[in-house]
Amino acid sequence: MNLPKIDLSSLPDLDTLTGLYGSLLDATRIAESDDSIVVLMTWLYEVLNPL
Amino acid sequence: MLIHPDLRALRGDDSPQRAAQAVLAHGLDTWRTAAQVAAVLQDFALFAKHEPLSECDALGALFQAGNPAAACFVAGFVQAAAAMLTSAPLGHLPMRHFDDGVLTTLVLAREGNATLSLVAIAGAALRSRPAAKAARFAPVETWENVLSGTAKVQQVSRRTGGGPATALAVQDRQLSPGSVTHRDEQCEARIVAEVQGMLVTLRLQRRYLSDDPVCEIDLATGRLIHQAANRSQDSRHELMLALLGRMGRSDAAPIMAAMARQEGAVALRWQSLRECLALDTSAGFAALCDVAASPGDPLAVPAGALRAQLLEAHPLLGALDPCPA
Repeated sequence: MNLPKIDLSSLPDLDTLTGLYGSLLDATRIAESDDSIVVLMTWLYEVLNPL
Repeated sequence: MLIHPDLRALRGDDSPQRAAQAVLAHGLDTWRTAAQVAAVLQDFALFAKHEPLSECDALGALFQAGNPAAACFVAGFVQAAAAMLTSAPLGHLPMRHFDDGVLTTLVLAREGNATLSLVAIAGAALRSRPAAKAARFAPVETWENVLSGTAKVQQVSRRTGGGPATALAVQDRQLSPGSVTHRDEQCEARIVAEVQGMLVTLRLQRRYLSDDPVCEIDLATGRLIHQAANRSQDSRHELMLALLGRMGRSDAAPIMAAMARQEGAVALRWQSLRECLALDTSAGFAALCDVAASPGDPLAVPAGALRAQLLEAHPLLGALDPCPA
């Protein structure tokens, strides 16, 4: 049978979306959180050693 | 910019850094063998395997009001850590930590779904933050023992279940050295409103093996404003699904179909269904029909609606439907 190809964007999400682990909307009082805090850090590495 | 000569030297030769890390790692291993610490960590391993805290004598003693065990345990760690850092000032304690200027945590032990952490909240920095707008409810059980400092906290309780708005009850409470609390964070959140000086606590947490998400409830309206996955593994799998989908890996469709059918977090199962349908119509539609026909499955209703939508858009799929309308 030649079945149709279904486009992902035509498939609905659930009514209530679930964010990624550790995501938080009101981070003003993060002190109440547990060990699931996720913090993205930017690191700069030196590619060459200074002379 | 001034850079200490010792730090500058590390750019060319990082062996002093490695040596410092070795000193700290060895020092921590020695700390872990001290009688009280070894007993606590042995209990902690059992606790992480879901043993009740009441069955873990040495660990439980850290969270008994009036028991000096917690102060002794933490003082021993601080003395050991300070001595290690004195002898190796360029080292970093090889322990998971966090600091945002208000909250500082240091994870002393971590196993499975459990953690034992030292937590400090700086009162002056906390005052500069705006007041909390939401309470966070998570499938986590928490024990906490205040070692120093005092704080005013709000205990926010919610009724389990319920409609779009959750009824919240807020109760003020004072914390002072020796205060021990135990809370089921699924129904009881805590907001630290005010801290005098520095609040230092020893915190034991165990995450439930639950598919329920972490919920943030707006304090003013009781409405859900955000929810997040309770397990990092679920989010990891969700990202993997998206990647496999974008790569067009139709060979992953059977695994996605199996994930959609099995028990688990509904958000992850729904994404499995979507990606599976887009990669392999036949496998995805069969899984969708199975989920739609499972009584009691929280995804049965949305799956049924999607099945109807797809049958309308693609009548050919009717030939695959095991229970045609």
